[in-house]
Amino acid sequence: MLMPEPDQGVIDRRDEICRTLRQMVPTDCVIDSRESMRAYDADGLSAYRQLPLAVVLPETVEQISAVMKWCHQNGVKVVPRGAGTSLSGGALPLADAVLLGLGKFNRILDVDYQNRCVVAQPGVTNLAITKAVEADGFYYAPDPSSQIACSVGGNVAENSGGVHCLKYGLTTNNLLGIELVTIEGEILRLGGKHLDAGDYDLLGVMTGSEGLLGVVSEVTLRILQKPATARALLVGFEDTGDAGTAVGDIIAAGIIPAGMEMMDGLAIQAAEDFANAGYPREAAALLIIELDGPEVEVNALIERVEAIVRKAGASSVRVSQSEEERNLFWAGRKSAFPAVGRISPDYLCMDGTIPRRRLPDMMRRMASLSQQYGLRVANVFHAGDGNLHPLILFDANQPGELERAEEFGADILRSCVEMGGVLTGEHGVGVEKRDLMTIQFTEDDLKQQQRLKCAFDPGHLLNPGKMFPQLHRCAELGRLHVHRGKLPHPDLPRF
Amino acid sequence: MTDFKVSNLGEAAEAVQQAMAEKARLEVRAAGTKRHLGRASSYDHVLDVSALSGIVDYQPEELVLTLRAGTPMNLVEAALADARQMLAFEPPSMTRILGEAQPGVRGTIGGVIAANLSGPRRLTAGAARDYLLGFEAVSGRGELFKSGGKVMKNVTGYDLSKLMCGSFGTLGVMDEITLKTLPAPETSRSLVIAADDIAGAASAIAGIFASPHEPGASAILPSAIAAEEGVDSGSPFTIIIRLEGIDASVADRLGHLQEMTGGEALAEAASVKLWQRIRDVQPLAEKPLDIWKVSCAPADAARVVGALDSRLQVRMIIDWAGGLVWLAGSSPHVGPALRKAVAGLDSGFAMLVRDVGATREKIAPFEPLAGGMFALHKRVKASFDPLGVLNFERMHEGV
Repeated sequence: MLMPEPDQGVIDRRDEICRTLRQMVPTDCVIDSRESMRAYDADGLSAYRQLPLAVVLPETVEQISAVMKWCHQNGVKVVPRGAGTSLSGGALPLADAVLLGLGKFNRILDVDYQNRCVVAQPGVTNLAITKAVEADGFYYAPDPSSQIACSVGGNVAENSGGVHCLKYGLTTNNLLGIELVTIEGEILRLGGKHLDAGDYDLLGVMTGSEGLLGVVSEVTLRILQKPATARALLVGFEDTGDAGTAVGDIIAAGIIPAGMEMMDGLAIQAAEDFANAGYPREAAALLIIELDGPEVEVNALIERVEAIVRKAGASSVRVSQSEEERNLFWAGRKSAFPAVGRISPDYLCMDGTIPRRRLPDMMRRMASLSQQYGLRVANVFHAGDGNLHPLILFDANQPGELERAEEFGADILRSCVEMGGVLTGEHGVGVEKRDLMTIQFTEDDLKQQQRLKCAFDPGHLLNPGKMFPQLHRCAELGRLHVHRGKLPHPDLPRF
Repeated sequence: MTDFKVSNLGEAAEAVQQAMAEKARLEVRAAGTKRHLGRASSYDHVLDVSALSGIVDYQPEELVLTLRAGTPMNLVEAALADARQMLAFEPPSMTRILGEAQPGVRGTIGGVIAANLSGPRRLTAGAARDYLLGFEAVSGRGELFKSGGKVMKNVTGYDLSKLMCGSFGTLGVMDEITLKTLPAPETSRSLVIAADDIAGAASAIAGIFASPHEPGASAILPSAIAAEEGVDSGSPFTIIIRLEGIDASVADRLGHLQEMTGGEALAEAASVKLWQRIRDVQPLAEKPLDIWKVSCAPADAARVVGALDSRLQVRMIIDWAGGLVWLAGSSPHVGPALRKAVAGLDSGFAMLVRDVGATREKIAPFEPLAGGMFALHKRVKASFDPLGVLNFERMHEGV
């Protein structure tokens, strides 16, 4: 992975930079020894590691602002970091950049049931939001699999999803407001406890901007009343195509399950060996379909869904009769990644989205790529919204296998775009998919996105080297080609 | 003044390039039903995009609808109804309060998106901005660009779809857009509950939202309007709660909430009609009054309304559980009083939606931007439209 050439001038000033940072934040909030910085040298995409110039852990928004302002004035790059669970390298440090960690922003500031929202600092974990309100019957809907560790500020940066976003949306649909610190050190508030406003939806743009536009210093999240009941079906199919048909039929019948997950044969077997969830080992595909809501509704819909999956050719159907059983259905799915980790020394987790109807084509494509590269692939799949998570199995100790696995992964993502889908459904672009952006976007598309970047960060100081395959200088992006003189297109109708 | 009537984005790009060369300003217009939203700006030419019309691809079982931005709303809604689906953000028709540009024309989907217009279900299902999955457009630089995609889950690159929603055509001219659709509910019923005042109503609503009975929409009507709409609870204010879903579920939840609140159930036909009228702000439409909307934290509705002197004699309806206050009045003091009230809140905004005189020449229709927010808006605008070709100053002066 080629990162931007580090600025040796900045690296040479490291001691001075650390001294200056220590004047802005308490002394122990700047970490600059190699041993201590080791803990920050990678995020969830651990194949890539890099020590930062220094780590700074501010404690107040004023300190964030001071650090950003100084870095901006002195041309020092900044890489923001929440809990460091990104799967796409969004928080990968740079040798010439200050790593700005939000870990000390770990307080919930306001639980507001009248307005059904929680105001929290960005370093609070996703699960802690739900924990803070569950005794009163509320919860925070987005539930990325890393929810025990990932921070809500990171959720905003990555627009995190989870298994329930078919019904409840991603972070962007559950975020009411943020406080933002710009690279100039200005503190702005976007949104709030109100719903819509009459300005540009900068809150929407910040969500999923992967730390390239600003640092989130506070979030206001919508909380929902917990559904009265949840029940799940565990459905086996002998044919993956039939499982795909069942998913389409359920939605066509007007039913939006809270979650609808699919696993393929290899994933089923690995998960069953690991979790003993009672999965049908012989099945080619497994669906976990969860319905939540009022008990009367859930019971009625369970019956409808059961009829639909049987008609679609299900080979086995189980309906949860208790909370324990429902949790057991999920246990296998939720342990799919560690389970695959047990049957292979290493794996790469991919994340693309396709139009759901293309699933059988995609499964065939993956089988043939698997043969071509000589690597196995296990599939877990947020079936309701078409979000694929192929896990490519490889052994990093075998020379060339990581590169082969990465090439296999890139081919899968290329196929996603070819089939009308996108490169990433929820993990983000980061460094991992940066160089694939040109598959999905034209040069003009990417230039327009980078012009927006320039509106927030004209010096490209915030998290450079992520998301965009090629950095254009803002002055160059701003140039205009105006056609002067004669009308360029006389055939254009005019009235 | 030239009328550029374009039939594709290539032609739109040419029109924009010509305007750039002339340093001219374009008004982007389809049905023209929302021309009177925003600032009264003048333009050199019209970029007529009404021919960018038609459904491109609709896959109900994928919950995805791709169509051209100039498609009339009545066509969109007919196609959705055929598949028993909906746009969950419940787009309102503005023609009741803004008037019809042409008889029977309800506006286009592009106008709904550009103005980020959402109805009562916005409270629980999200706004127009939550349903735009992707788009293709021409920027004010005369360049074609796209963002987002045609699938439901996508975090590839910046989410420019959010920015297009509610930017009133100031950033780009959209052609093909992709929306997320949802199944329409089988049944929709309402519950009518009495309340003494707005604060009490908001608090009662908060109690209902803390229950597991899944209210989908919630409005508060003062007694005069409740009486006109035939839902008077006999108290100074009337709360309306809407429940949607499958028949058995709605009946069950309605029963529980009746027990909990002592409210009265409204028949399905009356419920549908009432919510359509609230969606379109119809109870405030008939009298020739300025109309304001205030977006605030739901619990702040009482403070917003309380800031208005009773002598101002405003008519109002409150939606989104208190989070959206529609006010109609004739006094020039209404706007300044609302702006002052909003400034005293933690967050919120007040927008002049309709003026019957020339109110919008005296007071900014959109909440004015200041300081860093204003500077950032100008830079964002410039990143899409550096010469101010597209709908310049439609929202804010200098943007």
